[in-house]
Amino acid sequence: MSYIIVICILGLLGIGFYCLLITRNLLKLVVALQVLVKGAMLAVLFAGCLVDNMEVAQSMALTIIVADTIVAVIGLAMAIQVRQITNTSNIRSISTLRK
Amino acid sequence: MKNNLILWLLFTPMISSVVVYVVGRFLAPNDTEKPNKTVWLCVAGIAATFVPFILSSINILNGKSVATTIGDITLAFDGISMLVSLTVLILGLAVILFSVDYMAAEHSEEKFYGLLMILITSIIGLSTSTDLFNIYIWFELMAVSTYSLVAFYRNRATSLEAGIKYLTQSAAGSIFIILGIAMIFGTTGKISMQDIPALIASSKRIMIAAGACFITGYGIKCAFVPMHFWLPDAHSQAPSGVSAMLSGIVIETGLIALLRSLSALNPAAASFGIIFLLIGALNMLIGNLGALRQSEVKRMFAFSSISHMGYIALGIGFFLTFQESTASADGVFFHIFNHAMMKGLAFLAAGAIVFNLKQAKGDHSPLMVKDLDGISQKYPWYALLLSIAVLALGGLPPLAGFISKWQIFAGGALSKNPWAMFLIVFAGINSVLSLGYYAPLVNRMYRHQPSQTVLAGISKCSATMLASLILLGIFVVLLGLFPMLISNYTGSASSALLNMFR
Repeated sequence: MSYIIVICILGLLGIGFYCLLITRNLLKLVVALQVLVKGAMLAVLFAGCLVDNMEVAQSMALTIIVADTIVAVIGLAMAIQVRQITNTSNIRSISTLRK
Repeated sequence: MKNNLILWLLFTPMISSVVVYVVGRFLAPNDTEKPNKTVWLCVAGIAATFVPFILSSINILNGKSVATTIGDITLAFDGISMLVSLTVLILGLAVILFSVDYMAAEHSEEKFYGLLMILITSIIGLSTSTDLFNIYIWFELMAVSTYSLVAFYRNRATSLEAGIKYLTQSAAGSIFIILGIAMIFGTTGKISMQDIPALIASSKRIMIAAGACFITGYGIKCAFVPMHFWLPDAHSQAPSGVSAMLSGIVIETGLIALLRSLSALNPAAASFGIIFLLIGALNMLIGNLGALRQSEVKRMFAFSSISHMGYIALGIGFFLTFQESTASADGVFFHIFNHAMMKGLAFLAAGAIVFNLKQAKGDHSPLMVKDLDGISQKYPWYALLLSIAVLALGGLPPLAGFISKWQIFAGGALSKNPWAMFLIVFAGINSVLSLGYYAPLVNRMYRHQPSQTVLAGISKCSATMLASLILLGIFVVLLGLFPMLISNYTGSASSALLNMFR
């Protein structure tokens, strides 16, 4: 059972980082961050399972959900604003600063 | 009374942020050119926060502990909290005074001030946390407020680009922090930093893996090379007051969070020290080389912040690797405070100039180095204060930057280790290299003929802007001449660091 959870955690983190690296769409970028956080959250819950301290693990997971939701909301708000200004969600459309 | 001091220290700016925002909505002037009066509530909020801060500091300086417990959460005010709180309150006050006129024409000013107060609260909260998860929570609160502040000019694509880059990299960093916490919690069943070292000492691999996660996660916020890519964009595109906060205290707070988290992995401290030394050397070099090729003033200062994080990381590396004395740690905390004042002054002075030359006329283009030509003839105070800031950043005696850099180097030299000596020489060369981009700024301001941009700038200087610059300028000059003025604070902070890694 433990192996399955570890594989799930690594799978979610792998998918999340892969998406973060290859996607050029701002909305998909936020989704990739969400997948990553779910992997990390599962790791916290699994850690709680290992030390038989699920109360602390659950409260940490719930707090992470709140923090992560706020980050997602701000990320989506910025993505929408970019779309309104440039008429596209492609990250390349606003990539002008690197010098 | 004593136990409630930390709560007052946190609740005062927290409540102020809500009051400032709500009242600001009602007080918003019809004339968008006039400043929102809510800014003075913000100043009152900072002034009120100084009261519990001073009372807590008196206790700490008298050797008493200031701590409080809410449920299972313990908050403790120690030397590091004292120095960080002092820095953020002074810099916050300067930024708010500066923003009175600078932000007056902007839409939703009250949001700016509300977010700024949340930022101040989160930094104080982070410095008082004693467990890994609480540090992460305060850190996220700080990050969330800064995302919004960086992208405050939401109708500008460059501002949004900077905000999105910052958010993506910082959120990815948070994943590493959570993973590090999960590793430690899964091994020890604890998240309190005092309980962990004894329980984790036998799990060397977990310590290294968790430490690597913390260095990566918090390292992104500290702009450790090669995780610094967000910083030049974010610092250059944010409103100048926010750039001052980001560069002056936010990246340093990331370092405090990192140090607090690594203190839980105390048995592996020496290994982390070597990583800090390497990161320090890289940051100094990459930051300086990046700054040398910039033609945009705020972007140049942003790269300079990367190099200054290098000096700070170098000092921490000396302390963790050799632990001969707290001299390098003293230097680190002195430099953290000085950097906040110097870089705050540099960003605010550049902001004041861009305000007079461009922003007041509706031009939102960035301040270029060539725009500074002959500026001393029209804006002598701005030119003088910007010169003081950049020369102090370059480490010129007798200004504050020289003393703190010297203290870091002297602390490292005490180890008598040849590698430490090599790094000190390398840092010294980097400090000289930094004058390669700072000195031409002074030259342009004083020895060139005024450019058309300068001649066309508005003549009237804002009194509150000038007051904020003078406030920071006084610290930069005074601490250079009389460094012992702050030695109580830096000494307490380095003692607290020694206790964490003992």
